[in-house]
Amino acid sequence: MRVVLIGMLNILIVLLLSPLYEGIMRKVRAVIHSRQGPPVLQPYYDLAKLMLKDDQIAEGNFIFKSAPVLCLGSIILVALFIPLGTAAPLGFAGDALVLVYLLTMSAVFIILGGMASSNPYAFLGANREMMLLLVVEPVLAISLLTGAIKAHSLLLSNISGYMLANPTFSMAVAGLAFFLVIQPEMAKIPFDLAEAETEIMEGPFIEYSGRKLAFFKWAFWGKQVIFVALFAQIFLPWLRTSFAPVNILISLLEVLVLVVVVELIATLNPRLKIEQAIRYFAGIIVFALAGMALALLGL
Amino acid sequence: MSTGHELLNQIETKFPGAVKVDSVTERVAFLSVCDEQLVALADFLANQMNARFVMEIGTDKRPVNQKYELSYIFCLDQEGFEISLKVMVDENKLEVPSITPVIPGAGWAEREVYDMLGIVAVNHPDPRRLVLADDWPEDLFPMRKDFEHDNRPPAAEVKKIMKEPDGNATVVSVGPFFPTLEEPAYFRLFVEGEKVVGCDYRGFFSHRGIEKLADKVLDYNQVPFMAERICGICGFVHSCSYCQAVEMAAEIEVPARARYIRTIMLELERIHSHLLWIGLAGHIIGFDTVLMQSWRVREPVMWLCEQITGNRKTYGMNLVGGVRRDIPEDLHPKILETLDKIESESRTIIDAIIKDKPLLMRLQGVGTLSREDGRKLCVVGPTARASGLETDIRVKYPYAAYGELDMKAAFQTGGDVLARTLVRAEELFTAIDLVRQALQKMPEGPIMAEFSDIPPYREGISLIEAPRGESLHYVLTGPDNRPYRWSVRAPTYAQLQAIPDMLSRSTVADFPLIVASIDPCFSCTERVETVDRSSHTIKTYRREELLQQLQNKYRGGERS
Amino acid sequence: MWLSKFKELKLCLKAGRVTLPYPLAPGETMKGFRGRPVLNGDLCLGCGACAAVCPPRTIFVIDEQDTRTIQVDYSRCTYCARCEEVCPVGSITLNNEFELATTNKNDMKLSATLSMAKCKNCGTPFTTQRMLAKLTDDYYPEWMQVKVDPPEWFSICPDCRKKLEASRLKGGSKIV
Repeated sequence: MRVVLIGMLNILIVLLLSPLYEGIMRKVRAVIHSRQGPPVLQPYYDLAKLMLKDDQIAEGNFIFKSAPVLCLGSIILVALFIPLGTAAPLGFAGDALVLVYLLTMSAVFIILGGMASSNPYAFLGANREMMLLLVVEPVLAISLLTGAIKAHSLLLSNISGYMLANPTFSMAVAGLAFFLVIQPEMAKIPFDLAEAETEIMEGPFIEYSGRKLAFFKWAFWGKQVIFVALFAQIFLPWLRTSFAPVNILISLLEVLVLVVVVELIATLNPRLKIEQAIRYFAGIIVFALAGMALALLGL
Repeated sequence: MSTGHELLNQIETKFPGAVKVDSVTERVAFLSVCDEQLVALADFLANQMNARFVMEIGTDKRPVNQKYELSYIFCLDQEGFEISLKVMVDENKLEVPSITPVIPGAGWAEREVYDMLGIVAVNHPDPRRLVLADDWPEDLFPMRKDFEHDNRPPAAEVKKIMKEPDGNATVVSVGPFFPTLEEPAYFRLFVEGEKVVGCDYRGFFSHRGIEKLADKVLDYNQVPFMAERICGICGFVHSCSYCQAVEMAAEIEVPARARYIRTIMLELERIHSHLLWIGLAGHIIGFDTVLMQSWRVREPVMWLCEQITGNRKTYGMNLVGGVRRDIPEDLHPKILETLDKIESESRTIIDAIIKDKPLLMRLQGVGTLSREDGRKLCVVGPTARASGLETDIRVKYPYAAYGELDMKAAFQTGGDVLARTLVRAEELFTAIDLVRQALQKMPEGPIMAEFSDIPPYREGISLIEAPRGESLHYVLTGPDNRPYRWSVRAPTYAQLQAIPDMLSRSTVADFPLIVASIDPCFSCTERVETVDRSSHTIKTYRREELLQQLQNKYRGGERS
Repeated sequence: MWLSKFKELKLCLKAGRVTLPYPLAPGETMKGFRGRPVLNGDLCLGCGACAAVCPPRTIFVIDEQDTRTIQVDYSRCTYCARCEEVCPVGSITLNNEFELATTNKNDMKLSATLSMAKCKNCGTPFTTQRMLAKLTDDYYPEWMQVKVDPPEWFSICPDCRKKLEASRLKGGSKIV
C-alpha cells in the first residue's frame, strides 16, 4: 500500500510540478535578460493550449504517432524508480541499471519520433541527439557504477546511503561528472544541439504539434525534474530528517536550487557544435572513468 | 597630375583609341567603351589595377537615343577613384560580352541586367534567372521604359532552376522562411552528415518594385522616402546616398551644417545597427543573453533618433539639397550623455564577449574568407575589412562631413566570424567618437541648399559606407523633375555572392552564423526592380484544402 | 573562464528589469514625434500642395461639381510629415498618437470639403473660394491700410484669362 502511495506521489510530483519548475527557469532566464518574462504558470497554460490545439499529422506511420506517448510513459516509469525524499517506490536490487535504461529510452523515443517524421531537420536533430546520447549516457552509467562499487550495491538508496555515511573522493568525482551531464540530459544550452531552434528549428520536434508536442514537452520537463532530483538524492544526501513529508519538501527545494543553477549556466553560454560537445564529453568520460578507477582502488 | 589623368593615360597606352572620355573629375571618370574592348578593359582594371567591380547598371535609353546603356562601375580603393565604363547596346542586338569570367563578383549584376532589360551577357558561366519570380513570363523585361509600373502579366509556367547536388549529398532547405533569417531567402544546402558540401541560393522574394516606381512615378523629393524603406535598419544610408547622387549630378552644393547632420545620423545608425548585429549573432548561437543585453543598450539610440528626427527608424530627414530637421543646441547634452552610457555599457559587453571561451569556440575559424577570395568576389564593408581588405568608403571616398573628421578604419586579418565581430565592435566605438567630433565641429548655417531646376541626363554616383558595407546609388537625371534612372546596389548584394565560398568548409551548425556574419539584409538587396511577384489569380482555399495541399507538397518535397 | 561568466552575470543583473508596462500604461513618445495626421478643415485652402509632395501618394484632390475634397487616406501613410511641411496654412499636422489600429478602414480617412469659386466668364469652378479669399488678402495685406477691390482677373479661370488676353492682343475687347 505504501509503495502505491509513494509511487502516486512521485508521479504527481514529476507530472504536476515539472511545469512549475520550467516556469521558474523561464523566470530566471528573464531576470538575466533584464526583462519581465512570462508568468511562472505559463508552462501550464502552454500545455493546456497545446492539448486543445489541432493535431497536424505530418506522417501517418505508427512510430511517429506513438513516440510522444511512449516518451512520456517512460518518464512516468522512471518516476517510480527515483527516491524523492523517501525510498524509491519500485526500488529493488539493480534499480540503478534499470534507471539508466529507462532514461535512455525516453531519448530514444525522441530520436525515433524525429526519424519517423521524415523531415531533414528532424533527421539532423535526431542524429545529433544520438551522437550526444552515445557520449552522455556512459558518463551517467559510470558515475552511478562508481557509487555502486563503493556501496557494494546496485540499489540507489544504498548508494545514496553510502554517500551520506562516507563521502569519499571518488564519490565526489562521480558526483561532479553526473552534474556535468545534467545540462545535456536536460537539453539545455550549451548542449541543446538536438533542438537548436536557431539552427535546425527544434530538430526532432519540428513536425509535432498539438497533443503530441504537449506530451513531448511534458516528458521533457518531467525529465528535468527527475534528473535534478536524482542528482540531489544520490550525491547531496545530507539534508535529511526522519520525517518523510519534510524530506519530500527538502528534496523539492533542492531541485529548485539546482534548476536555477542549471538555468544560469544555460543563459550564460552559447550553444556548442556537435563535434565540440563530443570532444568535451569524451574528456568527461575519461574523468568519470578515473573516478571509477579510484573507487576500485578504494579511495 | 591627378589619379584620373594618370589612369586615363595608362588606359590610352594599353588600349589606344578604345575609350572615349565623357567627363573626368578629381574623383570620378565617365568613360565610353565599345563592347569588343570591354572584357579586356575590365580585366585590366580589376586584375592589374586592383580596381573593385561595384555594379553594372542597365538603362533603357531608347526614348532618347535608341540605345541601351550599360554602366560598369569600378572603384580604385587605393586612390579613392571611381570609374564608370559605359557600353552602348543597340536595341536590335541586345547582347554584350560577359565580364564574369574575369571578375567572378560581376555574376549577379549581369544576370540582373538580363532579367531586367533582356540584354544577354554572352559567355556568362551561370546565366540563370536571378531577380524575377519563377513564374514571370520569359519575354517580359520590367525595367524597359515601355513596361508600365502597374502592369501585372499573367503567371507563366514555373521553371525549376535550382541546382541539384552532386553525388549522395542530402538537400537541406533553409528558407524561404527560417527562424534566424529575418527575411525571406532560400538556401539549398547540400550536406553530408553535418558537413556542407555545396549550396545554391535563390533570393529576391521581396521585390517591391521600388526602382520601377521611381522610373515611372516618383519625383526627386519623393524618392528619398522610398529609398529609406529599402532597408529596415540602414534606411538613412539609402536616402542620403540617393540625395548625394542627385546632388552630384545637379552640382548642388550642400550646406556644411546639413552635411554634419547627415554624418551624425549615419553614425547613430551605425551604432544601433552594429549593436543589433552583435545581439543577433548571439541569438543565433543560442546565447540569448547577448541578444537581450546588447539590444537593451541599443534602445536609447533609438529614442535619441526619435527625438532628433521624429521617428525611431524611418527618419525622413533627407531631401535633395540638405536635411529637413536641425539638431538644436539644447539637444547636444542629451546626445552626449546617451553616447557616454552606450559607450561604457557596450565596452563591458564586448569585453565580456571576447573573454568568453565557449563563445570564442563558436566564432573562431568559422566561415573564413581569404583576402584573395574576398577581393575576387568584390566583398565590401566589415566583411572585407575582416579579411584584411582596406575598403572603407568613409576614408577613401569621403562624403558628407567625413573629410573633416578624424577617423581610422578598423581592420582584422583573420577573415573569420570572430574577425568580423571584432571589426564591428571597433567600428561601434569609432562611430561614437565620430558623433562626438561632428557635434563639436558642426558649423552654424542653413540646412538646405538653394537651387533651381535639376538639368536632365546628367549622371551621379554616390557611395556610402553603410553599417553592412558599401552601398551604391546611381542616378541619371531626367526631365519633368524626376530621375530617368535610379539604381541601387545594397552591400548584401556583393556579400551574398561570397557565401558559397564561406560555407564550403563549414557545418550545418555554422550555417546560420556564417550567413548572419555578413549582416545580410535581403530586402535591401532585392529592393526594387520589378512589380512584385506577378499576380496569381486569387483562389480562396478552405482550411482542409490548404492543409491537404501542404501535406501533399511536403510528401513530394525533398526528404532525406 | 568562470570569472568572465560571473562578470557577465553581474552585468546582466545590474541593468535590472527594463520591460515597460505598455500597454497597461500609455507608451510615451518624444517631442516632435510624427504620428497620426490630422486635417483641420477650417484652415484648409484646398491648394493641393500636400497631394503633390506626398511620397506614398495617399492624399487625393477630388474635384466635383461645386466642391473640392481633400482626402487623406492614412492607411498608406508613411508619416514623413512632408504635407505638414508644405502646407501654407498649417491645416494638416501630425500629432503624437501612434496607436492607429482600427477594424474599419474608413476610420483612417480624413477629408475636408471646400466650395469652389466659379469663373465669372464661363462659369466653370476653377479654385476654392477660400483660396481666392486668401489671394485677395495677400494681394492687399492689412498693413498696407488700403482697401482696394481685387483686380477683375482674380475671379476668372486661367483658361478664360488666356483666351481673353489673346483676344486683347489681337485687338479685341479687354477683360469684361
